[in-house]
Amino acid sequence: MEREGLVNETLNLVIGLSMGLNLVAVGSSRLPMLIRAMSLQGVVLGVIPLLLEHAQFDWRVVGVALATMVVKGVVIPSLLRRAMRAANIDREIEPFIGFVPSLLLGAGGTIAVVALALNLPLLPEHAKTLLVPGSLASMLTGFILLIGRSKAISQVCGYLILENGIYLFGMLLIQSTPLLVESGILLDVTVGVFVIGIIVDRIQRAFDSLDTRKLTALRE
Amino acid sequence: MMIIANLILRLTFWLLLAPLLPGVINKVKAWVAGRRGPPVLQLYYDLAKLWRKGVVMSDLASPGFIIGPAVAWVALLSSALLMPLGPAGSVLSFRGDVLLLIYLLALARFSLAWAAMETGSAFEGMGTAREVSYAVLGETAIITAVLALIVHSGSVSLITILSPAAGAGVALLAAGLFIVLLAENCRVPFDDPSTHLELTMVHEVMILDHSGPPLAVILHGASIKLLLFTMLLVQVVLPVGEMSPFIATGALAAGVVLVTVGVGLVESLLARLAFRRVPLLLTVAFLLCLFALLVVWKGRG
Amino acid sequence: MTQGELLLFASAVLFGSVVAGFRWPRAWLMFVVCGAITAMAAAMWTLQGSSWEWQSTFMLGGQPLHFRLDSVSAWFLMLVAVMGGAGAIYSHEYWSDDHYPDSAPKGRVWWSLFLTCMGLVLTVSNGLHFLITWELFAVCGYFLITLDRQRGETRAAGWLYLAASHAGTMCLFAFFALLASHNNGSWELGPMRERTGLAPLFWLALFGFGVKAGFFPLHIWLPSAHANAPSHVSAIMSGVAIKMGIYGIVRFSGWLPVPTAAPWVIMGLGTVSALFGIAFAFVQNDFKRLLAYCSVENIGIIMIGIGVALLAATHGDAAWGRLALAGALLHVWNHGAFKSLLFFCAGSVLHATHTREMSRLGGLLRTMPWTAGLFALGSLAVAGLPPLNGFVSEWLIYLGLFDAAAGREPIAWFSIPAIILAMSGAIAVASFAKAVAITFLGRPRTSTAAHSVECGIWMRGPMLALACICLAIGLAPNLFCPIMSEVVAEWRPGQEDIQALAPIATLGAAQMTLALLILAATALLWRQTCRKDLRHGRTWDCGYALPTARMQYTSASFSGIAANWLRRLFLPERKLRRPRSIFPTEAVYMEHFQDAVLERLISPAAAAVQQLYSAARRLQHGRLQFYILYVLAGVAGLGILVMIGGGQ
Repeated sequence: MEREGLVNETLNLVIGLSMGLNLVAVGSSRLPMLIRAMSLQGVVLGVIPLLLEHAQFDWRVVGVALATMVVKGVVIPSLLRRAMRAANIDREIEPFIGFVPSLLLGAGGTIAVVALALNLPLLPEHAKTLLVPGSLASMLTGFILLIGRSKAISQVCGYLILENGIYLFGMLLIQSTPLLVESGILLDVTVGVFVIGIIVDRIQRAFDSLDTRKLTALRE
Repeated sequence: MMIIANLILRLTFWLLLAPLLPGVINKVKAWVAGRRGPPVLQLYYDLAKLWRKGVVMSDLASPGFIIGPAVAWVALLSSALLMPLGPAGSVLSFRGDVLLLIYLLALARFSLAWAAMETGSAFEGMGTAREVSYAVLGETAIITAVLALIVHSGSVSLITILSPAAGAGVALLAAGLFIVLLAENCRVPFDDPSTHLELTMVHEVMILDHSGPPLAVILHGASIKLLLFTMLLVQVVLPVGEMSPFIATGALAAGVVLVTVGVGLVESLLARLAFRRVPLLLTVAFLLCLFALLVVWKGRG
Repeated sequence: MTQGELLLFASAVLFGSVVAGFRWPRAWLMFVVCGAITAMAAAMWTLQGSSWEWQSTFMLGGQPLHFRLDSVSAWFLMLVAVMGGAGAIYSHEYWSDDHYPDSAPKGRVWWSLFLTCMGLVLTVSNGLHFLITWELFAVCGYFLITLDRQRGETRAAGWLYLAASHAGTMCLFAFFALLASHNNGSWELGPMRERTGLAPLFWLALFGFGVKAGFFPLHIWLPSAHANAPSHVSAIMSGVAIKMGIYGIVRFSGWLPVPTAAPWVIMGLGTVSALFGIAFAFVQNDFKRLLAYCSVENIGIIMIGIGVALLAATHGDAAWGRLALAGALLHVWNHGAFKSLLFFCAGSVLHATHTREMSRLGGLLRTMPWTAGLFALGSLAVAGLPPLNGFVSEWLIYLGLFDAAAGREPIAWFSIPAIILAMSGAIAVASFAKAVAITFLGRPRTSTAAHSVECGIWMRGPMLALACICLAIGLAPNLFCPIMSEVVAEWRPGQEDIQALAPIATLGAAQMTLALLILAATALLWRQTCRKDLRHGRTWDCGYALPTARMQYTSASFSGIAANWLRRLFLPERKLRRPRSIFPTEAVYMEHFQDAVLERLISPAAAAVQQLYSAARRLQHGRLQFYILYVLAGVAGLGILVMIGGGQ
């Protein structure tokens, strides 16, 4: 019982950290900072499977956790940094939603999802942890970034934070979901980011800008 | 009799010790930069010299130019007297004194703004506009922090809200209050007290036209304010009420030195923020305090 | 002798002043002041703890006359009497026959009627009579606002006031009529807290009185009316008339059962008003509009107090509710005193310079030291700074909120308004630092400002009196505790002494000490400064040798930073033409902050309605043949209706 309390506390600390990183991501105008926050969040969340209750030691869990940390903490950020360098931009200049409003939105959203999760009919073992609000907060942050930013790279980061939220939600079902699915998602994301990295470069060459607003010309 | 002795000791503490802090900060900055730097007691020499000097007053200025600094100084000193000093307690403590403290700071701001605007200079106007605008966010953050402490301790007078440890959320609260400390005392990254480029300054540019005794009073008031915020921050973090008086005094002193050195380090390592980024950082401070409040609320059940 | 006789005497004297007002200004003044003092005496007597009631069998409009003066209405009557008297003295010079031969007599007559109607609103205890006096009060207000009918702006402001006021009165009609129908046709008013079925009616009252009080979305009439009215009228409108709305809310929330959601709604509205009111005030460039928006903020603060009190009343009469209510009530007085003072000062500036635009003033401290000093005092008070009265009432409200937060109740999270209150307090400091600095400090920006002259003794006297009230409540708040407790106890019975709940005497002592310390330190610094060689020189201005008055920071630049943060909220009208090409010709930057609610919400809605009706106007084109066709169609329609419904 005591061990469970300790685990829950550590888990909450980790998820609280990831919530803080959400706000860092939403409030930072420099892309390297954004990428750092996003990748750190990936690493932090990668620890979670190790913390969760397991009947016996499962090397596959450790494997997936390590893979997640490596992919999200090293591979994807380096791909994004490369794309950023290639496109020669390092900051978001004209966001649709300014930094202070998006920070307030993010904070308000976090408070709201915590309040929401308190009223959801969760399993008792999940109700004690911040898993659900944490995942909802990450998804919300992802959406704020996707909607509120104009540079393609920030939007990719938003997408990745959204994915982090979904991953966290998946932790609720870790006992029942095959880890294969999780690894598949990880692979998809990596490939996706890889492709986006290439596309960003192409967009930059074709339009001389990474502003996704200019892509509206392509709607026909 | 006791109370008068208490009051006098306290006054001596605030009046004499406050100018030490800017000296320590400057020493730390010099040390990081590999210089020898001005002596720690530099501000004392400056104040003594300024007090003896004559005054040049602008043609446009009225008596308010002198009254403003005096009122600000009294307001800052009175708010300092309301602040409990660890084991020594407080000289005047009543329910709701924390509000008097916060509003005294606002009074100091108003009267300094008045004195600055007397001169009719655009530079003073610029500094005043910045000062009062940023204070809006700063004051919001402070009251949020105070609310967190009130909820945590279940009481509304300073001495009791500061004595227990702030419990969960103390890290958030400390970070938030530290940012507010930097902003309210016009330190880097909000303002750079060592430059004299008027366009970039907040507090320094408000006092451009002041000289002699009024300037001394303003500078001394500013150092009291710095010590006041440091004291607040340290007492929020440390459970001074739960320690023995001897340890508490030591811990308090150590804490003040630590925070001062921290300010110095921040000042050496960070650059000043662009003006349009200032609200963002102050919003962060407010959010930190707000989350601390929520954590406290949740923790209390 | 009873309060009744005093009141009768007061009303007789005021009636006399209505007659005297046409011809004899001095006699009028004497009558009004006499009436005000008598009413004050009656109010003071009642506040000592003896309420007065008088019922007659005489019927007016089918209803028996019924007057009642209890401590709640006496509290407000006191305000009416003090400000009414002060404003009358002020107007003797400000709106004198010499300057305004046409409108000055009218102004005097309407002023007397206005005071009488407010007094009646506070004392009648019958729904029908309340409605009648309420309507008369609103109409008198309209004529006072539009005293200066030559200006189109004033007429427009008057119409807006009248329209808004009637929207409110309509709700009150419904409110009192429904109340009477629930009471078996009796329009008598009085405590009926136990009849829970009446609770939904409170919403009607909230809207009806809310329009008059002018809290946030219902404040649309307030800024233009207060800015365009003559200053003594602005003072009484802002200081007293909008408090009648608060009186209605306090009165009927005390007498009627209140819906469970009402405390939250009132608190929410109060919070929104406090923040938005002061935010709009900060960006105004017209000092009377700034003061008007600041009234919205103060009404918000009062509403927060009332909301907290109502919430406490539904949670076992918690002590924090009584603190907050005491704060709200004291703020009613305080706001009356300092806002009237500020409007009087604004009137004095207007009198001397004929402009309300702050950026055309500056440096008035030199030519108008009294006005400047008193405006500064009023600013300190309105910004809620110690050691003045504004701080005392805000402190009580805060203490209520804090006590609730410190308590262990689960609903305590509503103390969040404290954060907004602090924010609006800081913006208030900024707003009034701006108002004082731009208007009175620095160098005069125009020659009218440079050649202004100080107002005379008749205007200065009431200003000084109000300043003394601000100082008195600030330095000795404990003197007002017993009567405050009396009012709080009258609102919802319960025996609690405010002095026992809050260390108000200690606060008073602290404020007094602070004031003395300020005097001492000022004297010391002054002596030290003057002992050395005091030289005068040009403002340094970073070495620039030829500064002009136009280079000073203006009102818009002062609030520019904050205005930029809240751009989305204010939706300012902007005109920007950047300097172009190598030899730029003309560049324009104009920013105009209109009222967001009025211009973006109400006006478009009104325009849509108007469009709808102008479509209907097409039916009226003047061709007789078609009119006959309408008649025929109408008759035919009726015939069809009869045929269909003929069975019944």
